Amino acid sequence: MDKNRRTHKATKVVVTGVGMVTPLGIGKEEFVRRLFAGECAIDVIKAFDTSSFQSHLGAEVTDFVPRGFISVKNLRRMDRTSSMSTAAARLALDDAGIYITEGNRDRVGIILGTSFGATDVTVQFAGTLLARGPAFVNPILVPNTVMNAPAGHASIELGFRGVNTTVTHFAVSAETALAYAVEEIRRGTADFVLTGGVDILSKFYYEALTRFRSLSPLDGGKEACLPFDEDRNGIIVGEGCGIICLESWESALTRGRQPYCEIKGFGLGSSPTSPTAWPDDPAGIKQTISRALQNAEIKARDIQAIYAAANGGKVLDAVEAEAYAQVFSGLKKQPLITSIKGALGESFSSGGIRACALALSMEKNIVPPTVGLVKPIKSLEFVAGDKREMRINNAILAGISFGGTYVYLVFANCDK
Amino acid sequence: MNKSKRIVITGLGTLNAIANNIPEFVQALQEGFCGIEAIDLFDTTGFRSKNGGQVKNFNVRDYIPQDYSIKRMSRADMLSCAATLEALRDAGLYPLPDLIKEKMGVAVGGGSGGLWEAENFYGEMLKKGVRKARFSKLSSVYCASSADRIASSLGLMGPKTTFMTACSAGATAIGYARDLIVNDYASVMIAGGVEPMCRITYAAFNALKSVDPDVCRPFDKDRNGLSLGEAAAIMVLEPLDVALNRGAKIYGEILGYGVTCDSFHMTAPDEQASGAVRSMRAALKDSGLSIDNIDYINAHGTATAVNDVMETKAIKEVFGKRAYLIPVSSTKSMHAHTLGAAGALEGIVCVLSLQNGFIPPTINYRDEDPLCDLDYVTDGVRYTLLRTALSNSFAFGGNNTTIIFGQYAEGGVGNG
Repeated sequence: MDKNRRTHKATKVVVTGVGMVTPLGIGKEEFVRRLFAGECAIDVIKAFDTSSFQSHLGAEVTDFVPRGFISVKNLRRMDRTSSMSTAAARLALDDAGIYITEGNRDRVGIILGTSFGATDVTVQFAGTLLARGPAFVNPILVPNTVMNAPAGHASIELGFRGVNTTVTHFAVSAETALAYAVEEIRRGTADFVLTGGVDILSKFYYEALTRFRSLSPLDGGKEACLPFDEDRNGIIVGEGCGIICLESWESALTRGRQPYCEIKGFGLGSSPTSPTAWPDDPAGIKQTISRALQNAEIKARDIQAIYAAANGGKVLDAVEAEAYAQVFSGLKKQPLITSIKGALGESFSSGGIRACALALSMEKNIVPPTVGLVKPIKSLEFVAGDKREMRINNAILAGISFGGTYVYLVFANCDK
Repeated sequence: MNKSKRIVITGLGTLNAIANNIPEFVQALQEGFCGIEAIDLFDTTGFRSKNGGQVKNFNVRDYIPQDYSIKRMSRADMLSCAATLEALRDAGLYPLPDLIKEKMGVAVGGGSGGLWEAENFYGEMLKKGVRKARFSKLSSVYCASSADRIASSLGLMGPKTTFMTACSAGATAIGYARDLIVNDYASVMIAGGVEPMCRITYAAFNALKSVDPDVCRPFDKDRNGLSLGEAAAIMVLEPLDVALNRGAKIYGEILGYGVTCDSFHMTAPDEQASGAVRSMRAALKDSGLSIDNIDYINAHGTATAVNDVMETKAIKEVFGKRAYLIPVSSTKSMHAHTLGAAGALEGIVCVLSLQNGFIPPTINYRDEDPLCDLDYVTDGVRYTLLRTALSNSFAFGGNNTTIIFGQYAEGGVGNG
């Protein structure tokens, strides 16, 4: 390793703002109170009629009023993914105490992940095209059919002009965005990068996920989201947007902001898996965790908490638990493991919301419970029932996707 | 940034409107061949335009061996897999040695993904109702599917990412892939972009009235919009020392890239050209080059009224008087605008120009526009030695990416 290399790594990347539009609340106060209290946002879906489906539950954002965050002029051009992202980005900037000015706006960027984007808008556009022909399609819909619309809209509404990118990779879309954003701060291409993920719930997805046999209750039993539980029987869909604000440690110090935590490193990996199947071999997860630990220059024993990817699905939860059992085997002090998807459902690019939650966990030294978990599939230190209070020095955010893609990020306390 | 680690291009692969492989592409670029003609992939009745840059004679099994499953692959998946195999063979890496797979990854810029196949689904949904529609047709609709197919069929275990910044996605993917190797997250990367021709995308650009009914005429006084095309464009990237050690053919080097945002309008470029100016400057800064080092500019040059004036203005602002001395061409006049693949395809154009010592022309040009007064290479190919080439990609959402390629020379650009 040469000197330049160390300089690059030496840039300490910290989280100084969180913003979220989630089924458990909009903005951090309500979100963190309800999350730590073990509340569950899963309920009967109100946005559309589910009577023709076997499943009826979802975690919906029901009290989001975009007008409170977005100018009327820009709002009318936005679909729901864009308005949620713009609102979350505004909340994250506010939380970080950053005001966009002529002087800083070229150094503020956004890197967003979305698994499915605004497929609804594409379906609507395609519907008119196929039913009525090319002359009848609505050009107003077009800008929202591209997946980079949310990041574009957020930049227009909020006025920042730095690095702007949208990535997608199914269930690791947001984690991939977070990792890229960390690199951009390390590279020095921006002073502040907003990063996270957005996905929304719609009847079309619900239908598709039903057909792909993903939704609870797959066994015909009781419909519920039970991450890591023996009785789990499929996922429950969620939605929302979570965005964190990253900057360098020096920048936060200069501004006099106490960061929530540091993102110390990350690991990226994949394993050969059919594009629509969840991986059933823990090898890819183990390899990616080891890359993340190496990148963060820590050991497995330094990890106190894991924000898991488990969503109540048969294959994912089993393979993830098995991977942790192997990685942390023999350690006297096992890390606490939680999956907040028990409360929030699976929103695919959930990594944004989970990154916000983890940052708040690091700040308050509290790990929220895995809602729904009663009979764990393995004897690991799952947090179930009630939250746990414990000093967290290092924690990992897990990203696992069908198709065999993995992104693990290491969050570290930086108040020491 | 670790400037001492140089990343080179050792393999190329493409299918596009003017070539089904790299040798054909070199020839077509030099001949100034126009691949924009009547589309036969779908019925264009009712559209403002009938033309497009379609890949011709694509018999998938001529490109992908029989033992390689293409079940449920979209046209985008097949085109990208075919280009990947060409690039790997070109790099002398096919079949892939097992040792390389562990840290070899994929970064792809996507666009329409499996929308062409999904259209059949939407049609069924409209005709027979959602209950009877075959959702399996949607299994490759999302763009991340292409990277998953490439990685899983080759058995890769490195990072996997898909960029969705519309027309700048391919360029951003290449820049990002370079960074992953520089910072040791990957040892070798397959990077590029893929965009299939599809009726929904075609309808979208027609609805926006941004397509030329005839063929696109970049920088011409009477230019009247873009021509849509399709392509897969893939590069193999690896560290210089690794390439030298294994005696690989070296096409060129990635010297730098920059990503910025207009924060102006979702579909219209900022006429002040601020985003484009900043992205070229960011790429120059990243590469450590001065304006005097740039020998050729491969323009975004879509042939829309606004883009070409804006880009010309941006080039003049960045390069000052030197702008008039640098040849600028838009090869979209030949292979059409390939959206998500454009940045990667035009990256390949730059690399081939550097390696073979030629400047590809802007074809279809007739009359001078007083607002577009640079040297657009409208008089046919020029054979000349080039050291560096800069490629611009500007996208919906105000996403701009500029990437700079250099001819490989032992001591770096300027010392060769």
